[in-house]
Amino acid sequence: MKYLNKGISEIHELLKSKRIKPIDLVEEAFDNIESNKDLNAYITLNKESAIQQAKELENKEVDNILFGLPIAVKDNICTNGLRTTCGSHILENFIPIYDATIVEKIKEKNMIIIGKTNMDEFAMGSSSRTSYFGAPKNPWNKEKICGGSSGGSAATIAARDLLFAIGSDTGGSIRQPASYTGIVGLKPTYGRISRYGLVAFASSLDQMGPMTKNVYENAVLLNALVGKDPKDLTSANKEEEDFTRFIGQDIKGMKIAVPNFLMGDIVTDVVKEKIKDTIKILEKNGAMVDYVDVKYLEHAMTLYQIIAMGEASSNLARFDGIRYGFQAENVKNIEDVYLETRGQGFGEEVKRRIMVGSYLLSGENAKIYYNKALSIRDDMRKEFKKVFENYDLIIGPTTVSTAYDLTDPMDDPRKSFMDDVLVIPVNMAGLPGMNIPVGFDKNHMPIGMQIIGNSFEEAKMYQLASFIEKELNLDLTPGGER
Amino acid sequence: MEEKLSREELLHVADLARIKLTEEEIEKYQVQLKKLLEDVEKINEVKGYDDEILIACWDDNTKLRKDEEGVMLDPKQVIENAPHHAGNYIEVPVVIGESEGA
Repeated sequence: MKYLNKGISEIHELLKSKRIKPIDLVEEAFDNIESNKDLNAYITLNKESAIQQAKELENKEVDNILFGLPIAVKDNICTNGLRTTCGSHILENFIPIYDATIVEKIKEKNMIIIGKTNMDEFAMGSSSRTSYFGAPKNPWNKEKICGGSSGGSAATIAARDLLFAIGSDTGGSIRQPASYTGIVGLKPTYGRISRYGLVAFASSLDQMGPMTKNVYENAVLLNALVGKDPKDLTSANKEEEDFTRFIGQDIKGMKIAVPNFLMGDIVTDVVKEKIKDTIKILEKNGAMVDYVDVKYLEHAMTLYQIIAMGEASSNLARFDGIRYGFQAENVKNIEDVYLETRGQGFGEEVKRRIMVGSYLLSGENAKIYYNKALSIRDDMRKEFKKVFENYDLIIGPTTVSTAYDLTDPMDDPRKSFMDDVLVIPVNMAGLPGMNIPVGFDKNHMPIGMQIIGNSFEEAKMYQLASFIEKELNLDLTPGGER
Repeated sequence: MEEKLSREELLHVADLARIKLTEEEIEKYQVQLKKLLEDVEKINEVKGYDDEILIACWDDNTKLRKDEEGVMLDPKQVIENAPHHAGNYIEVPVVIGESEGA
């Protein structure tokens, strides 16, 4: 009997009425992962401990809707006693000695961590192909990328291995793979979820979020993950709210803006057409949709390159081969430990970004590049705020095209930034953004729409997303409904 | 404009980043880094913005937490996470001066 293809409410009822046990779900998830092994969605499985936890839960009361449900966690999020590699050789054998706050919250709900998902090395990349452990594959077509950097989380959800996964998004790394794999992925407002225990890439941009097969389950998981954390100064102190509360409401009178930049020449026709079709549906149902100009969006990629590479060079300075992780052998002195460990331990993309970042922050360059980028970033944020004075939400495509071939060349250092050109502005402004599937191209590869909200207005985004989901009623299971 | 960084320029950024490169990597990165460094120059094309900088992306008044004693990581576990350790110490090679084969 299969249970993980059902909705969360139904599974919860089955658990509550003791018709099934958490161990049934855990075993089913591992069976699914085993049969989808060729997707390479996981770096480490947590089998023994997950089974043990599931058995322990049999004696506990099913006290919340997430109780006993399996979840996959991206491998840049610290899990106590469970290997956390960041997709890198340098952390290949790193076992954290504490849980990230998000992991503590998952455990408080008695969810069961099934494994750690594959990803671009240190979340740097857009196709998960920079992973030291090989690229994950797209369940819709195994010759295609599943995007990145949260590619493993996207693949395991798209393949219907389980209901829940966590990703992280510094410049689109939740939304972009969600778009390529036809799932729902949300990057919450910066500060919504504590970053304590997330291995830092670009601290002023990083944010974790839920990746799920549908909108409701996404909102339910977000409910469990948010909150102020004394261990993360940048976590926001907000009143508790139910992110599902507007789901199912109509969208009559909703004001929606479409930035011209997001529908510009860089976007392929097939994606643009699908977004326009969806816009027509929204208008037919009483939403007001306007095309608007948002200043500075065309510069977002440059800002991202400066800020993300700069912050990465500083954050990744901690990997010195001394305190944890890999250390190069046959070194003469401590300077050589640093040089050799980092030279051998980091992959190509990561080294490239650290070097550029080091240059950008060195001496006077910090003023010429980084400070200037922060200035323009501030103006971009103000431009977004202006839009939200007149509109409820912003929409557009998530990606310029559908997923490309795993074998496409990787030698252009600009490629990974170009892939994220439509999703990067959201991180620049700290806004919440999500992907909702809206259709397929002629090869039946998923196309995604991006919904962008004002700060801390995720509930409104879920309202629109759930409306689109219901109206389109797409079959989003690769190979058809199971 | 040159299509790649000079060897000296590239080795300078590699040194800033504390990364040892192989000969093959040096050649590849001379070209690739040039492209990225051209990209970031585009920031000079942006006009009209004000001087205010964005340090924090959220509107909350963030306060530092109180400096109070709390639960700390177990020092034994922390030490054991290091690739080389002995007792309560992390072992490192020679820090000052050269020592062949140490």
